[in-house]
Amino acid sequence: MVAVAPLLAIALAVPRPIHAQMAGSDNRVRLGAHAIGMVSRVDPGIGGVVETDGYLTQPMIHGYATLWSGLFTIAGTLNLEGLTMPGGELAPGNAGEGFIDRRHPHTFMHELMATFSPQLTGVDFTLSAGRGFAPFGTDDPMTRPFVRYPANHHWAQILERWTITAAARLGMFTIEAGLFNGDEPEAPEDIAGLERVGDSRAVRATLRPVHSLELQASHAYVESPGFRAGPGLDHRQWSASARLDHALSPSSRLYVFLEMAETNEYDGDRKVFVFTSVLGETAWRPGPWTAALRFERTTRPEEERLDDPYRSQRPHVEASILGATRWNTVTAHAARSFPNGGLRFEPFAELSRSTVDEVTGAIFDPLALYGSTELWSLSIGLRMTAGLQHDRMGRYGAALPPGVSHADHEMSMTGRQ
Amino acid sequence: MTKQARHIGQALGLMLVAAVALTGCDKDPVANGDRPDPTEPVNLPVIGQGRHESRYTAEVAVRNAFAYTTTWHHRSAPGNAIFVWDVTGVPSLADSVIVHGASTLGDIQISDDGALVVVAKEGAPGFIVIYDASRPDSLVELSRFSSNDTNAGVHTVKLGRVSGRLYAFLSVNLGGSNTPSRLVNVDITTPVNPTQVLARPMGLPFIHDTFVRDGILFTALWDGGLSIWDIGGGNENGTVADPVLISNIVTVDGHVHNMWWFHNPNNSEKKYVFVGEESGGAVGATSSGDVHVVDISDIENPREVAFYNVPGAGAHNFSMDEPSEMLYAAFYNGGVRALDVSGDLGVCPDSARASDGRCDMRLAGREAGIALSTGDPQVSIWGVAVSGNRLYASDMLSGLFALDITALKR
Repeated sequence: MVAVAPLLAIALAVPRPIHAQMAGSDNRVRLGAHAIGMVSRVDPGIGGVVETDGYLTQPMIHGYATLWSGLFTIAGTLNLEGLTMPGGELAPGNAGEGFIDRRHPHTFMHELMATFSPQLTGVDFTLSAGRGFAPFGTDDPMTRPFVRYPANHHWAQILERWTITAAARLGMFTIEAGLFNGDEPEAPEDIAGLERVGDSRAVRATLRPVHSLELQASHAYVESPGFRAGPGLDHRQWSASARLDHALSPSSRLYVFLEMAETNEYDGDRKVFVFTSVLGETAWRPGPWTAALRFERTTRPEEERLDDPYRSQRPHVEASILGATRWNTVTAHAARSFPNGGLRFEPFAELSRSTVDEVTGAIFDPLALYGSTELWSLSIGLRMTAGLQHDRMGRYGAALPPGVSHADHEMSMTGRQ
Repeated sequence: MTKQARHIGQALGLMLVAAVALTGCDKDPVANGDRPDPTEPVNLPVIGQGRHESRYTAEVAVRNAFAYTTTWHHRSAPGNAIFVWDVTGVPSLADSVIVHGASTLGDIQISDDGALVVVAKEGAPGFIVIYDASRPDSLVELSRFSSNDTNAGVHTVKLGRVSGRLYAFLSVNLGGSNTPSRLVNVDITTPVNPTQVLARPMGLPFIHDTFVRDGILFTALWDGGLSIWDIGGGNENGTVADPVLISNIVTVDGHVHNMWWFHNPNNSEKKYVFVGEESGGAVGATSSGDVHVVDISDIENPREVAFYNVPGAGAHNFSMDEPSEMLYAAFYNGGVRALDVSGDLGVCPDSARASDGRCDMRLAGREAGIALSTGDPQVSIWGVAVSGNRLYASDMLSGLFALDITALKR
């Protein structure tokens, strides 16, 4: 309830997006809130046991300020998952930050980025700094049509880092380059990492040949993400994606998204492990309805689990893993939206079927752990939004599509207005 | 040149070749015992196996007629069991003990008098459990020890007697960025009342294992290397409660995981420490990491003189048949390897010397025995323990193997 209270407060107080004019300049601030109440059932969970759990997931408060006629902008997202689901969200196949088969809660300071936009001739250039997304990979899954995160989250996005990113857009082409701290968060309240800013780097190129189509390729070197002290394995990551978000009619949109990601783990100069992901998702939104389908094929490491088998040792002790598993998951999502002024309620149902295989010949045996190599999960819940919503999460300044900003986002498949 | 002179010349040449060859043989440091072909490692025969597959098997300890294995991680059942094996013949399960409150166990140790068995519990909250082993086939829990210093999980425990008192040396790995790894020493002379005498942060970033002998403590500090401490047997006035560092060496590639200080009863030498390096791999399929040989004849200035590498496999825990001058190493997917460690390990032909000057023990012909290395059956050997003419090898996948090492006896 601690987390729900601010959401309700914003929802009630801000039936429409805020456009607060600040005295003496062309400044404005917008706020928004988002949360999903959900019950999930996974069959089987660990040990062959059916697991059912309920929580408020993705509870967030967004803020976006435009200062001095857009010379500076500040984007902030407070994520309250550390309060509402400290034990994570049931999600077979997910792994990261010490959680396994549960998605970890994000940090409270999910993003707080300031962007400087000098008015240059012929090129749209911005410089962003703060805590947020490194210029790598694709949009945060929470701004995409599905509720459940894909298993490739840590292969396809690098987030919650102290970051300095320069972005330049010239016509249909955008290039970004950024420095950030490689260590990933260790707990929801964690804002550490400043001392490691600059040990990791990323570059992303984006091509938008037409308004609705976006092609992306990126590369990142991430130093010891799983071990803050620095002696963990380093990541060299690649990502490529295509994203189509197209208006079929004034009330109907089509969204198609394809991505490939690869993470190579290095011990010094020696490549130790490789993990890959291929993901495709599509959604059709006729009027208030949404129908979406996703296929994912992702490999992940199997690490030593703790007394709580949904948790793994962090930092990872030793240098070995128990194997790697390939998760093939098909997810279907259906929802209907009920807008009411600045509020929107969207009941949904989401069904996933995963198959899992060990692919290295190592000792990990999914059949022994889960009791089956076929896992089903069903989630039913209600998505609630008020005010500003992120249309695209994972890009800043000139890296956003032309005409789209956090403050003035267009109606799209994924940015729910 | 006359025909006779040519013959004399040929004879002298042959003698020279023979002399060189014999000289080369003299330089071969390997004393090969009764091995039929000293240039080829012996395939150590499997006497039998005690199978267990519902849990992953971890460490093994053996004394006389009984062996103990721990279990690890989650399989179809959690790693919360100790198995007691009757090893008078083919290993057969005699008993099992569930360690309540555990899901992963690590080391298991038998005290030098056989009176106690001690097991380490990994993961938070970490602790050790001390058992009465006066009936070795029926362990009785005497006590548990935990403290704030063990909370992150006890990765390994080793027992050692110093000045007549029995101690447990616990390696506790870091519990997050703000809780460094540490050595925790516990006096278990009165096993129903274990008492912590030391907690000292160490390790870069891990402390992985300890080895205690003659009042000298060795600590495996991962990328911090191997440290040697006076805890009562040196000249530095160290004690178990206040170890004094004698020296440190970072072996090639770090990742110092475990060690064994070799006391050679045949010549009273205490010259070598064998160091296990554990590097990355997918357990059961791939592993990596060498055995490193550290010469501590000048204990204040240890130096690495040799190494042993198995392509595609990495070292794990050790045991020794010291009278036979044989080191046995678990090598995960590479099975078990026996190394002849007689003689001077820093001397080898140039053809066996690596570019950094260390001797490659394989090229020097010191690979004396191999077992369970063919991939059929698939194995992942965690630990080894010598007892008489047998070597016991714990296989994470299938239980406990008994191997015949008679061929390597001296």
